[in-house]
Amino acid sequence: MSSPHEPQPDEAQPSFTTQLKEQLWDPVAGFGVTFRTMFRKVVTEEYPKVKKPTAPRFHGRHQLNRYPDGLEKCIGCELCAWACPADAIYVEGAQNTEDERYSPGERYGAVYQINYLRCILCGLCIEACPTRALTMTNFYELADDNREALIYEKSELLAPLLPGMEQPPHAMLLGEDEGDYYRGMFAPPPGDRAAAPTSTPETSSATPPAPRTARKAAR
Amino acid sequence: MGIEEKLPSGVLLTTVEGVAGYMRKASFWPATFGLACCAIEMMTSGGPRYDTGRFGMEVFRASPRQADLMIVAGRVSQKMAPVLRQIYDQMAEPKWVLAMGVCASSGGMFNNYAIVQGVDHVVPVDMYLPGCPPRPEMLIDAILKLHDQVQSTKFGANRAKQVAELETAALNAVPTSDQKGLMR
Amino acid sequence: MTTTPERTATDLVTVTIDGVSVDVPKDTLVIRAAEQVGVQIPRFCDHPLLAPVGACRQCLVDVPDAGNGRALPKPQASCTLPVADGMVVNTQLTSGVADKAQQGVMELLLINHPLDCPVCDKGGECPLQNQAMSNGRGDSRFEGVKRTFPKPIHLSPQVLLDRERCIVCQRCTRFAEEVAGDPFISLVERGARQQIGIAEDAPFLSYFAGNTIQICPVGALTSEAYRFRSRPFDLVSSPGVAEHDACGAAIRVDHRRGKVMRRLSGDDPEVNEEWISDKDRFAFRYLTATDRLPYPQVRGDDGVLHPASWPEAFAVAARGLATARAAGGVGVLTGGRLTFEDAYAYSVFARVALGTNDVDFRARPHSDEETGFLGAHVAASGPVAGRRGVTYGDLEGARTVVLVGLEPEDEAGTIFLRLRKASRKGTTVLSVAPYLTRGADKVRALLVPTAPGEEGAVLRGLADRAEELAGSALGDQDVVLVGERLATSPGALTAAAELAAATGARLAWVPRRAGDRGAVEAGCLPTLLPGGRPVADASARVDAAAAWGVGSLPETPGRDAAAIAAAAAAGELAGLVVGGVDPDDTTDPATTRAALAAASFVVSLELRASEVTEHADVVLPIAPVTDKAGSFVTWEGRVRPFDAVFTVPGSLPDLRVLAGIAEELGTPLGFRTVDEARDQIEALGTWDGERPAAPVPAPAAPPAAHPASGGVVLALSTWRQLLDGGSLQDGDDALTQTRRPAVARLGQTAYDALGAPAEVTLHGDRGTLTLPVEVVRTMVDGVVWVPARSVGRGLLADLAGPGARLRVTAGGAL
Repeated sequence: MSSPHEPQPDEAQPSFTTQLKEQLWDPVAGFGVTFRTMFRKVVTEEYPKVKKPTAPRFHGRHQLNRYPDGLEKCIGCELCAWACPADAIYVEGAQNTEDERYSPGERYGAVYQINYLRCILCGLCIEACPTRALTMTNFYELADDNREALIYEKSELLAPLLPGMEQPPHAMLLGEDEGDYYRGMFAPPPGDRAAAPTSTPETSSATPPAPRTARKAAR
Repeated sequence: MGIEEKLPSGVLLTTVEGVAGYMRKASFWPATFGLACCAIEMMTSGGPRYDTGRFGMEVFRASPRQADLMIVAGRVSQKMAPVLRQIYDQMAEPKWVLAMGVCASSGGMFNNYAIVQGVDHVVPVDMYLPGCPPRPEMLIDAILKLHDQVQSTKFGANRAKQVAELETAALNAVPTSDQKGLMR
Repeated sequence: MTTTPERTATDLVTVTIDGVSVDVPKDTLVIRAAEQVGVQIPRFCDHPLLAPVGACRQCLVDVPDAGNGRALPKPQASCTLPVADGMVVNTQLTSGVADKAQQGVMELLLINHPLDCPVCDKGGECPLQNQAMSNGRGDSRFEGVKRTFPKPIHLSPQVLLDRERCIVCQRCTRFAEEVAGDPFISLVERGARQQIGIAEDAPFLSYFAGNTIQICPVGALTSEAYRFRSRPFDLVSSPGVAEHDACGAAIRVDHRRGKVMRRLSGDDPEVNEEWISDKDRFAFRYLTATDRLPYPQVRGDDGVLHPASWPEAFAVAARGLATARAAGGVGVLTGGRLTFEDAYAYSVFARVALGTNDVDFRARPHSDEETGFLGAHVAASGPVAGRRGVTYGDLEGARTVVLVGLEPEDEAGTIFLRLRKASRKGTTVLSVAPYLTRGADKVRALLVPTAPGEEGAVLRGLADRAEELAGSALGDQDVVLVGERLATSPGALTAAAELAAATGARLAWVPRRAGDRGAVEAGCLPTLLPGGRPVADASARVDAAAAWGVGSLPETPGRDAAAIAAAAAAGELAGLVVGGVDPDDTTDPATTRAALAAASFVVSLELRASEVTEHADVVLPIAPVTDKAGSFVTWEGRVRPFDAVFTVPGSLPDLRVLAGIAEELGTPLGFRTVDEARDQIEALGTWDGERPAAPVPAPAAPPAAHPASGGVVLALSTWRQLLDGGSLQDGDDALTQTRRPAVARLGQTAYDALGAPAEVTLHGDRGTLTLPVEVVRTMVDGVVWVPARSVGRGLLADLAGPGARLRVTAGGAL
């Protein structure tokens, strides 16, 4: 039995250079990591100043889309509310009339509320939506100081009017009936060069659709 | 108009409220209250990539007596609620509460008997942060919004007046039981 | 299946369905027999309460043995195929043939059916949607263009039809024809364009049109009231009881986040089967009316109502009532819409807390004769008192039903539907009325022409004439239904009771409002204590006093509603407790208004702000039927309990409010909740002692003819139509539009005497009224009929008192 501290026959006494390295260099070498890092690119994100774009499929706040003529896609069917695991969506449908038309077809969502204090941004509502009316944006700066402000109304959720769109209510401008809208069988709206049959960009960038300050003032 | 015009250039004036608010907001010491998945995002926010140290809040204190911001990160069970309240009571004034994530804010998808339906049933909440869980940017955004709130906090007579105004507004507001839609 | 062998031999046949043998009564349809073995055959046109028609062909089954050893060559519609002994049936579960046939039918049905389920109101509760999932193919082979129609057309102001969704099952047309008797809709066109239609000038104006919406197996029929308002999967359903009439129809209240979205018929085979009237279905918007009283109010020294807390309101009400009690007494007018328990609370409150018998539920013309009749023949009869009463089933099984002072279609919709069902099976209906109404015609009633006021005389002669009129003498299988209106016809109620006693026919009193019968049982009458105890009987008083823990009860019978109003107007009564009474409903609206103004202290328990609120010193908002538990007692005496739909903490039922005031007065009622009140009612039980004899009415003075100056003098016949100006129908415009127009109905003689005018002016002692004329061939000479509440403030306020004679002139009021 030999003591563990006893040098083994094949482990010779460390050489002088090794000893020198261990005693002088190694303590300094640790700082090398620090020193090297000083010349590397900083990993810290300058978040409020520089906003790094999220992945395109990021689940941010919702948006209610429009057809290229500005009519709403939402038909108030409440399938999103049904799909919602957190019961965060409240929809009330109503009837379009010839004088007051918000969406193609008979029915539109008159009341549309999403409670962001319940919403877990899971996206099941998006999958449930039969008209692709509800999609998610990449906008995420949602914090607020009271519960009421975090229930977003339809006016806050609706997509902004792009050029060529007209604020509803108005008549169906793109087709004879709702079938033309649903099937995408409408001519590109005048002035819109890149009109795909299925309408507006459904995932916008991180730009909030409506500025928060304006929204608050409207309350 | 007043004294500002007579002062030499380069001299800034402010109010006591402004200075105090500036000092307070720049030195939050958060108490960790990580309860669930949101806590992971909260930890990341303190790490090098998001680095809340940039806003003077690098130290997450383990003792509530050294903290002035409670970040409630995660769902609060009924059993945890008294603990939460005790920690809050032990924190030194002035103190703030940030409800991080939907579960802390309103119970989120856990609408059941076991979960407190919003931590504001237990402690006063200054900032609600949606998300499940919120990404660190969202937390930082909430903290910065809280900064603005702290910066504009009033003192003394102004504060009393503000409190009275808020109280009146709250009394005149529609009671929750009468509200329609999702507020019910 | 566990019947005796004899019965099996005579009535039951054995069939084998999917290999399971089952004994079912002869003539059972295969589709029902299959339900007995737990096999659900898909179906659309089949409805257990409608005659089989075999229109949709969805229920095809394979019959390898029709009972005679031979197979039926093709799949058969099981909804029209009666079972035969030894029949073998294979449904879609065991037979590939049946399954393929059903899938084929489904594919054909879906060819023209639009796939707009997200928009359709039926989506989520749609038999077509469900059965397409369970018994249809995953995809369609149809590649053409679907047939479309212009979007919905109005069958009536309330009912809309989306023709492209219709699968032509004819449930609605069969309902309209067989059940409601209003065949305004039928199939029109042919082939692919076949559709449900109406004649251009005849909209689907039926009082029961809403039922077609409920039984439509697709979303083709929708209502203006519910269209696009909600989705079935968001709704919470609570059972309820309709509060609009005394029939106690079972309803289903569908609500969402504290708001009633729609009401549907419940399924109660003993009461309303699966049908309710449109009033029960659509008249619920009054619940959310903007003039609902939000909180208690107390009139301050400045004469203005101020919001108050409940304890403060109780204290002020108690103080004021104590003063008024000392200053002359307090009268209690409860109105007819109370639940049984609430009415009981009023009854106890009047006796125990106010020490008076001045309590009356009748917010309508009434008489002493009626008071006696209710005590002698109505109170403590029927199931509510543990006795056998006349039931809906008895109506269906009766040989003859005599209707006196009752127009079932307007005043008791469920009775009307039962009578119609009974009359289709052979029951004879005798209608003692001034003319044969459309409703009476629909129950194939034979008219016993009777001028208003002569009901008594006609009833006295009816025992002898019944055989000649109805084909059989009245006996114990027969039923006499008397309406509440008979109170205005002197001697009629007595004659009805005599008729029943003489012939053995069974007698039932049919009030119009839901709370009336319960109020009789609860003792909201000046001569009755709860359970039918006569006030005049000392042992009955001891009974009640013991149950309520008080030493004694007031001995003298009180004043009835008209007398209370007169006494208060004259200053004899200092205080009034009013529970939802509209002055325009009372015998003399002017006196009631004067009483409200003259009384020094008025406590109003109301749902919505009303005329009483303007005079009230304390206004106590009470819970609507959706916010409280309770029960209504139907005209049969059947207790129909229901639970609260919503839990609203600040919404208190009448009995809780009265208990609060009574406690402040130092005379607690002994209950604070509905359950406690029920326990007390049960502990008190009903009176089994001697019943008060009905008083013999004094011979009525003939009504003074209105001073005639031109025109003709006619007796006024009137009743309230189902849909009229009642405040419980507020808020639904489509329902309002389905009201029948207000017309004055004249006989040919009077019409000719007036020179065939397009409209007439009626002059009464309280005002004049101009209405369009409708000539009724069967009208008794010397009578004019006018709806009671369809124009203005109603006849009692604007035209004349009950039993009046009117001067009628041609043309408008000039």
